[in-house]
Amino acid sequence: METYEKGMEKLAMSEKIRTYQQDIVGDGIESIQKVKEPHGDNSGRAVKYALIAVSVLFLFVMLVLPLIVVIVNALRDGWAVYIRSVRDEYTVKAFWLTVLATVAAATVNTFFGIFAAYLISKFYFRGRQLLVTLIDIPFSISPVIAGLIFILTFGNVGWMGDFLKAHGIKIVFAVPGVILATIFVTFPFVFRELLPVMSAQGKDEEEAAGLMGARGFTIFRRITLPHIKWALLYGVILCTARAMGEFGAVSVISGHLRGKTNTLPLHVEILYNEFNTTAAFAVSSILVILAVLILIARNIVEWKQKK
Amino acid sequence: MYVEMKQINKTFDGFLASNNVSFGIEKGHLAALLGPSGSGKTTILRMIAGLDKPDSGDILINGVKVNNLPGSKRGIGFVFQNYALFRYMTVADNIAFGLKVQKKSKAEIKSRVEELLELISMQELGKRYPHQLSGGQRQRVAFARALAPNPQLLLLDEPFAAIDAKVRRELRTWLKEMIERVGITSIFVTHDQEEAMEVADTIIITNQGSIEQIGTPEEICKNPKTDFVKDFIDTRRYEALKQLMNE
Amino acid sequence: MKKNTAYLLILTILLSALASGCGKAPGASSEKGGNREILNVSYDPTREFYAKYNELFCAYWAEEHGESVTVTQSHGGSGSQARSVIEGNEADVVTLALAHDITAIEEAGLIDAGWMEEFDCSSSPYTSTIVFLVRKGNEKNIRDWDDLVKEGVEVITPNPKTSGGACWNFLAAWAYWQEQYGGNEEEIRNAMKMLYQNVLVLDTGARGATNTFVGNGQGDVLIAWENEAYLAMEEYPGQYEIVTPSISILAQPSVAVVDSHVEEHGTAELAKAYLEYLYSDEAQRLAGEHYYRPSNEEILQEFSEQFDLHMNLVTIEDFGGWNAAYETYFNDGAVFDQIYAE
Repeated sequence: METYEKGMEKLAMSEKIRTYQQDIVGDGIESIQKVKEPHGDNSGRAVKYALIAVSVLFLFVMLVLPLIVVIVNALRDGWAVYIRSVRDEYTVKAFWLTVLATVAAATVNTFFGIFAAYLISKFYFRGRQLLVTLIDIPFSISPVIAGLIFILTFGNVGWMGDFLKAHGIKIVFAVPGVILATIFVTFPFVFRELLPVMSAQGKDEEEAAGLMGARGFTIFRRITLPHIKWALLYGVILCTARAMGEFGAVSVISGHLRGKTNTLPLHVEILYNEFNTTAAFAVSSILVILAVLILIARNIVEWKQKK
Repeated sequence: MYVEMKQINKTFDGFLASNNVSFGIEKGHLAALLGPSGSGKTTILRMIAGLDKPDSGDILINGVKVNNLPGSKRGIGFVFQNYALFRYMTVADNIAFGLKVQKKSKAEIKSRVEELLELISMQELGKRYPHQLSGGQRQRVAFARALAPNPQLLLLDEPFAAIDAKVRRELRTWLKEMIERVGITSIFVTHDQEEAMEVADTIIITNQGSIEQIGTPEEICKNPKTDFVKDFIDTRRYEALKQLMNE
Repeated sequence: MKKNTAYLLILTILLSALASGCGKAPGASSEKGGNREILNVSYDPTREFYAKYNELFCAYWAEEHGESVTVTQSHGGSGSQARSVIEGNEADVVTLALAHDITAIEEAGLIDAGWMEEFDCSSSPYTSTIVFLVRKGNEKNIRDWDDLVKEGVEVITPNPKTSGGACWNFLAAWAYWQEQYGGNEEEIRNAMKMLYQNVLVLDTGARGATNTFVGNGQGDVLIAWENEAYLAMEEYPGQYEIVTPSISILAQPSVAVVDSHVEEHGTAELAKAYLEYLYSDEAQRLAGEHYYRPSNEEILQEFSEQFDLHMNLVTIEDFGGWNAAYETYFNDGAVFDQIYAE
């Protein structure tokens, strides 16, 4: 018996074989199944490399190649032209509008996401599932449709049009509309990341804290927040990335007022339409740089989460 | 009577969890709510704690009607079934939590935490996190945390359910000792009659939302009042146990 | 605690930014330091022209009145732009591709009746026409409308539902076959159908169509505004040729002041002057330099080398005016829809 166990130990150390250990007979002793497959080794490795190759190829074509094209084209006419395009007055304004819309979207959706996820994971009420479905709507409808919905609601001809006009509130074809559209399309991100984490956590810790006299905000700060920290950050990052690149909804609602309601993606379209492809790529590269920064942030978050 | 339930009724979504429940517990006693799963014992405990609200009836603690008082104002210490320790805080912080909420001074908190760590024999483990402790250790921390703010009533929800059989016995004895030492009125929920018999001064037997019998362990064994009690309680086991304990 | 405070701060900042963004339409008489703003909602190809014209006008206005003016531009398909004004885009002036789009805004109550008479030449400071743009060498030997319906010829033209230029394109083509088939409606429709069947991509705006043809290299021939065609030749010298069809249409882009908005913004005088100035000699020349035909006859002659002044042009009047034409051809379910749907 002892020799057998020693033998099993040795074999267990070899990783390849461990994967095939199973308790086939059900008598509590793991037996080795693999021995009868002489070529099992090689076919496993071949599949592994094939999958890696396909993934790398896919990533290269869909991701790396376009990035290279953007950068090459942006610098095609030289560094000076690149700098000029990037520092152009309209580009700078578009940049700040993108930043504003992104920060607004991230902030609003973080508050909302935390609130909604808390509500749904900790309390039982009728219509809970319906609420979750409603929150997912921005995922399922095309951004262009979303923009149209805003126009038909807040525009002159919309059902809120008269009310807004009477109070001098401008939403469509103005900055608030751009911000609203961006908030809408990134609505579910933070919520979606928080919900599973909060649901898994359960109510006990919070009930315990509540019994000891802690108020809502204290409970949130000291018990809920540490638990959802990384999921929250991740959701915010996703939200930010999506907000920066949003085109469809914003395009419909912005009115394309140069220097006022153009975000970076919209501005790229305008430059392209003016036969100014180099400048278009130059401005695109700003978005690429921002995207890369976000990716780095995301990797840091993931790495920290694993610790 | 220190703790009194008077004609309590509670329905959850059409399910009658508590049916005209009435009982009283003396000060300083350790009472057990004993019954099969789903018999309503945890519901009663939670209502006393203020975590759930009764549909009708009164709850009194130390003569004060607490129906409309939120749980945090009833002076309750609660030990949850799965301990519900704050996983992102150290043991010391967990114990200190109730005191921090009450805004006690740092010195006061420090000394009280030390006192409790000593009580539960975990003086060296103050800086550990819950996930670094064994089940039994977590149990003790949960106990200390509940006691820290000097509650007038200690409630325990199946405190030994998550512990392996070996440790359970030891912990059970330890708990009874601690409670006697501190002198606090306590109620715990269990479905394990051996536990109830061994530890409790008073046993309240529940079944399908109603109270079947209230009495000391001896009374229940000698005079089971209803058929259910007769079936549920294994009197011979109790006798054997008593003999073992007396030896 | 720090994170939440940060969030609260950001939110406060944002809410205040939003609050300041609301209620301040561009062009609101914010005369701090004498800077006034107007919004010009225009159609697709006029980007370059108005960029330069705005500089010209602002210099002029600063000299005349000592005020600085900022003109904000918006460009897109003429129909879409008109719709956006109706839906709340607070244009002070509209400079669109055809009178009908402006009529739509009038009907929505934002422009007073009689706008066409407010400026010279039926409020059309510059005109253009429809030509073909082909790649250098003209491999498919495209000379006239007939060549566009031949098999294997790929045509690029925008969508009349959203683009003003596309409407002119359609009518020019129709005019040609009207002449050919002496008013035999069925034959004309057939020819139009074949034309649109050869259309490879139907963009939303004239500039979009130009980009598809020039930038993306799709199609053999682009039916385009004359000014677009010249612009493309300028941007990509030596790569393209212009082919003038035997019959085309006098395309008259119209301009108007959006009365209800300028009333709110207090920019009535400024807006009117802005459009008036389009008729000044400097502006007319600028238009010519940007390949628009100046409506000022004398100045038009200065560009006789650039433009083919002897083209056979029909006008919108030959179609009974825009209201009739739009109803017959471009309304929902009208001729274009019928042709395109088959």
